[in-house]
Amino acid sequence: MLSEDLLLFAADASRLMLESGGETYRAEYIAMGIIISQGGTEAECFATSTGLMLSFSGEDGKVRSVVRRIKRHGMNLEKVYRIDNMVRHLLLGDIDIDEAARQLDEVERMKDRPVWLRMIASAFGAGWFSLLFKGKTVDALTAATMGALLSILIYEFQRHKLPGFLSSFAGGAFAALASLVAAYAGLAINTDAVIIGVIMLLVPGVAITNAIRDTIAGDLIAGLARGVDAVITAAAISAGAGGAYALWQLLLGGRA
Amino acid sequence: MNPQLNAILSQLKEPLFAGLATSAFSVLFGLGSADVILASGGSALGWAVLQVMPASDFPAFATFFAALAAGLYAEIAARVRRRPATLYMIASIIPLVPGGGMYYTMLSSLEGNTFRSVELGLSTIMTAFAIAAGLAISNAFARMAFSSTIYSILKKGKIFQKPGRH
Repeated sequence: MLSEDLLLFAADASRLMLESGGETYRAEYIAMGIIISQGGTEAECFATSTGLMLSFSGEDGKVRSVVRRIKRHGMNLEKVYRIDNMVRHLLLGDIDIDEAARQLDEVERMKDRPVWLRMIASAFGAGWFSLLFKGKTVDALTAATMGALLSILIYEFQRHKLPGFLSSFAGGAFAALASLVAAYAGLAINTDAVIIGVIMLLVPGVAITNAIRDTIAGDLIAGLARGVDAVITAAAISAGAGGAYALWQLLLGGRA
Repeated sequence: MNPQLNAILSQLKEPLFAGLATSAFSVLFGLGSADVILASGGSALGWAVLQVMPASDFPAFATFFAALAAGLYAEIAARVRRRPATLYMIASIIPLVPGGGMYYTMLSSLEGNTFRSVELGLSTIMTAFAIAAGLAISNAFARMAFSSTIYSILKKGKIFQKPGRH
């Protein structure tokens, strides 16, 4: 493989790792690992959750570097495993670079979970969480229904490539409004348990924890970037929910 | 039913819910079926630890130990399955993470309730810190106990080697 191709391949693997929810240090290590495995030297990678820079020195002694922006943010742990495994085998010499490129291409084209499965999983997630937060069975059933509907809403927002802020805002508004309507219709005993169960599908709890994990690991910029992202997402959800509460009070004169 | 047995069963209820909630989230996070079951076990373990920790003046303390337990479990599961521990870690900490805390922090600041917002915000950060620290320490333990990870290959091998001039 040409040095330029190697550089782009390593950067792509690293980008895909960050897009799939891998840790920052892991994204840096795999980029460097790919380059080292092919005999490159002076490999250095600097990754944050919004972009990465990678440079190394090839066999001709020339230094090459590339910058990749990261725009998508998802969580797909199977992809994290596949990429990590590919680099491990590359380093151990089990596979060559062409096979690695083929595997990465496969990971890139891996489909997300189908909508129906996401609906079911969201329903169960919201339902069990509302039970965990001291909800009754009826609350859990309500939360599960809303969780399924919310997953469709999120999916539609993602499909039309709308900004994450907007989908968090709409999701928060939907969760709060739907819970209020359910409580009004007598389908919820513990309204808080319903709302928190549904909102668990949106909230960036894992994101804030990962932000602090990055910071502890010494990736200060990456940690800050992730932290700000988490705070903005939480703000968007609460703004949506707060707006829904306000609207409800206007409509029903404070009856909630 | 025997009241003692009943008490034990009611103690097991919450870890069960936590595990089931995690299994749903693991599916959303793209884990395969065997990993979903393993990750759910980790989160049930974490929640059980959280439950049995005695109440103290430091609420984050219990979270720390819960995350430590979940993290150690994740490291062992990772060695058994030969997959990165992060797969099981991310999924196992789902019930522990302060998602609700972040939401209520922002909501109270929106309602103009600044004191409550600051209070909730600090406890949220504290919880996230406790989890991150628990995971970091379990990872440190695992690195001491097991050696053949990709990173140790990188460290022993070439990545930190002094680069030569061509």
